[in-house]
Amino acid sequence: MSFLTLNNIQKSFGPVQVVKNFNMTIEKGEFISFLGPSGCGKTTVLRMIAGFETPTGGTLTINGKDQSSLKPNQRNIGMVFQAYALFPNMTVHDNVAFGLKVAGAPKPEIDARVKEMLGLIKLDHLADRFPYQLSGGQQQRVALARALAVKPQVLLLDEPLSALDAKIRVSLREEIRQIQQQLGITTVFVTHDQEEALSISDRIVVMNAGKADQIGSPFEIYNTPATRFVASFVGTLNLIEAKVVDPDTNRIQIGDQGITLKQSVAAHKAGETISLALRPEAGSLSDSVKSDTALTGQVVSAHFLGSVIRTRMNVGGNVISFDMFNSPGTTPPQAGETVTLRFMAADLLIIRD
Amino acid sequence: MKAQRLGAWIAVILGASYFVIPLIGTIEFSLRMRRGEYSLDAYESVFSDIQFRETFGYSMLMALLTIVFGMLLVVPTAYWVRLRLPQMRPVVEFITLLPLVIPAIVIVFGYLRMYNSSSYLPLTGSTTGTNILLVFSYITLSLPYMYRAVDTAMRAIDVRTLTEAAESLGARWTTIMFKCIFPNVMSGVLSGAFITLAIVMGEFTFAALLNRPAFGPYLQLVGANKAYEPSALAVIAFSITWLSMGLLNLVSRFGKAAPAKA
Repeated sequence: MSFLTLNNIQKSFGPVQVVKNFNMTIEKGEFISFLGPSGCGKTTVLRMIAGFETPTGGTLTINGKDQSSLKPNQRNIGMVFQAYALFPNMTVHDNVAFGLKVAGAPKPEIDARVKEMLGLIKLDHLADRFPYQLSGGQQQRVALARALAVKPQVLLLDEPLSALDAKIRVSLREEIRQIQQQLGITTVFVTHDQEEALSISDRIVVMNAGKADQIGSPFEIYNTPATRFVASFVGTLNLIEAKVVDPDTNRIQIGDQGITLKQSVAAHKAGETISLALRPEAGSLSDSVKSDTALTGQVVSAHFLGSVIRTRMNVGGNVISFDMFNSPGTTPPQAGETVTLRFMAADLLIIRD
Repeated sequence: MKAQRLGAWIAVILGASYFVIPLIGTIEFSLRMRRGEYSLDAYESVFSDIQFRETFGYSMLMALLTIVFGMLLVVPTAYWVRLRLPQMRPVVEFITLLPLVIPAIVIVFGYLRMYNSSSYLPLTGSTTGTNILLVFSYITLSLPYMYRAVDTAMRAIDVRTLTEAAESLGARWTTIMFKCIFPNVMSGVLSGAFITLAIVMGEFTFAALLNRPAFGPYLQLVGANKAYEPSALAVIAFSITWLSMGLLNLVSRFGKAAPAKA
């Protein structure tokens, strides 16, 4: 049986429905990321799990127990906020001890647990400092320790890394993942940063306009995006318009060039337009790479990005980007030059809208 | 450039003189009770007057009660408006501003009409009831300052997120209010408290019309009947106000030294 179940969850603010029939099951110890743009409803779902928002419809159960009638302070859920939310009047020690004091734990137990938590985040030497005496990264680690101190059944992380600089963000996200795995705590992480979600999650929920467009492992989300939105939101992707030529043989046409897909197009009629996705890193100009398909077109532009050269080419009205690794011997293609892009037909995916 | 600087200095000196010269005059006059020499006789006379001690003590007690009950009214109100009823904010701000535009005499006549001995709630029918009414009057009078001071302090912390963080850690609203919110808006509460103290100590209209032995009516009584003591009392009243202002500054500085960042 799954540990956390969201069954047909809906949420409306007045006439606006921000979460639409959201369904999901989360296993114990899983690390789930809600990924999506601002306003897609990911934080609202998280806040409903925490109890800060009441669902307009649907049921939410944790460990088989319906949470609908429980207030946030009765759910035993740890939460880390984007704005740290440390109590400014309390020291690091008192912040971490807060939940335990509220629960009425004896002092020796509180002290031992606080020490253990501060050790976990490697800030035991800052126990007497106040939040304003800490850096953003340190404050967020204390917030994490505070949330974990009460041994919550679920840990919710609401964009905890957004307010931090890039370097700290990377190190802290690795630390969060390490602690999560060490404690085996079920975690829901909200982010709009695809790299964050891809790097630390067991599964990702890509949300769009209040619903889950796709739920899958980072590998599945990146390599086989289910919808046009997922394809465009996660990573850089070429969306190519193609015409079905023969549904029985999976033959399609891009511009005036024919290609045979690996994926079946039997669901489409001949002459129907379909959307295909191709990652920039899937193609190459070199004929030495493993490939079974090719498209010829004119180079529109070539941008030097350091380790790679991103080239844009026009194929029958579709502009396709592809990346070439930079090496001292590489000559970037020139605008107007005719080039042939080689790739595996299996990398060309049919995208539903 | 130099002429501009000179002009600025003249303006400052003129402005300061406007306040300082009468003050120096009052202090100097308060020291001239003994003929031919300066003395603290007027102050001795004031401090030895039992009525001074009684009225001063009474007003201090009233001020203290006003601050405590004012805080208990204002802090939760400002908190709930910020947290749950942001749409009510303009209404609450308007209500808290009313004591500034409605004269005290109008308010007190309203009270007397509402709470006289033949009304449904005859507060003026007993001494305790009248004292309670006076405290309520003072709370009304200090509302514009108290509410703004507390609301500004709440703006400096992220009340909503702090509340949610505390809730997720199992805290009930009383714990949230007294352990997480109150200590972080204390600088605002204290600022409001000192302003309230200064207002209550010099207030005349409410105390006189409710016939309570407060410091304000005592100041008026002494002023009408004695020569040097009123000046000494004025200096004492000034000192109380200044002390309050000084403490307010100190609290603000303390608040800045340890910013309440959420």
